[in-house]
Amino acid sequence: MRKLQYIFMAMAAMLITAPAFGQAAGGENQWVPLAAGLSMALAAGLCGLGQGKATASATEALARNPGARPGIFIFLILGLAFIESLALFTFAIIFAKVR
Amino acid sequence: MPNQLLFTRVLNHAFAGPVDKLLAAVHVTPAYAQAPITNPVAMELLVFALLIAYFLIVRASLSVETPNGVQHLAEMTHEFISEQGESIIGHGYEKFTGFVTALGLFILLCNLVGLVPGLESPTAAISVPLGLALVTFFYYQYQGIKANGAGYIKQFLGPVWWLSPLLFIIEIISHVARVLSLSVRLYGNMFAGDLLTLVFFSLIPVGIPLIFLGLHLGVAVIQAYVFVLLTMVYLSLAVSHDH
Repeated sequence: MRKLQYIFMAMAAMLITAPAFGQAAGGENQWVPLAAGLSMALAAGLCGLGQGKATASATEALARNPGARPGIFIFLILGLAFIESLALFTFAIIFAKVR
Repeated sequence: MPNQLLFTRVLNHAFAGPVDKLLAAVHVTPAYAQAPITNPVAMELLVFALLIAYFLIVRASLSVETPNGVQHLAEMTHEFISEQGESIIGHGYEKFTGFVTALGLFILLCNLVGLVPGLESPTAAISVPLGLALVTFFYYQYQGIKANGAGYIKQFLGPVWWLSPLLFIIEIISHVARVLSLSVRLYGNMFAGDLLTLVFFSLIPVGIPLIFLGLHLGVAVIQAYVFVLLTMVYLSLAVSHDH
């Protein structure tokens, strides 16, 4: 409980100091590379988690029932494409905003 | 002047005047009057010419007794598309194979042409995947209306009548979002692949980027397959009768 309190206090302090840093440097675009990298990292990481789960279930299903290969393959590829497109939306937004 | 590939430069040298006149007739002013044909358009024309040549060769050399390599390739393509169509669309998939095969071959060749030095992928520019997605969108809507008639509207209205005004709007948005996701997926993959190779070339100029070119080859084939697969799924949803 005490630990959590410290963590939240530290986070609140960071939240307060962040605008102060921004004003001190005076540049309005200095956070853009950081934001782009962080958001791409978040998107890629979560996309990797999702794709890993999908692939794991697909291989498990394939190991249980090798006869169902074509159906599983189609759904695996479809699922991976849909999950991957979410990361690509992030990429497209970053590319559109960072110029 | 924009950065032009060799093929684009040749095309612009030959056809800049007529193309400018054509664009002026539809009230479009190109950014550079000397070079109205951009790289993606030139690459699309190249792919178009290659595909037409391939189809002509296949048609000219068809034979029952002694099928040659080109014919085997065409038969393999047809069998692959038919197999996928049968497992996704089911009964009555035959009338869609022509469109889907042409679409798939075009996208595949567009993706792969970027791996040749001196050429670039037309699908790495947003307008080309958007055009392909729009063609797919109108094609499956047309097929849906053709298959179901006026009853096609029922697919947009949901199961219960008092929810239909809400569901109609949601369905319209989801259908339009298909165009967005189809185009952005293809564009994002091809563009990101090119960018990745470029970044690694700038880091380590020898050897290592080859791995990423190999990865790009895989992505190019997979994305063409995914586009074909999604087109078939949308077609199967549009022409299904059980709503």
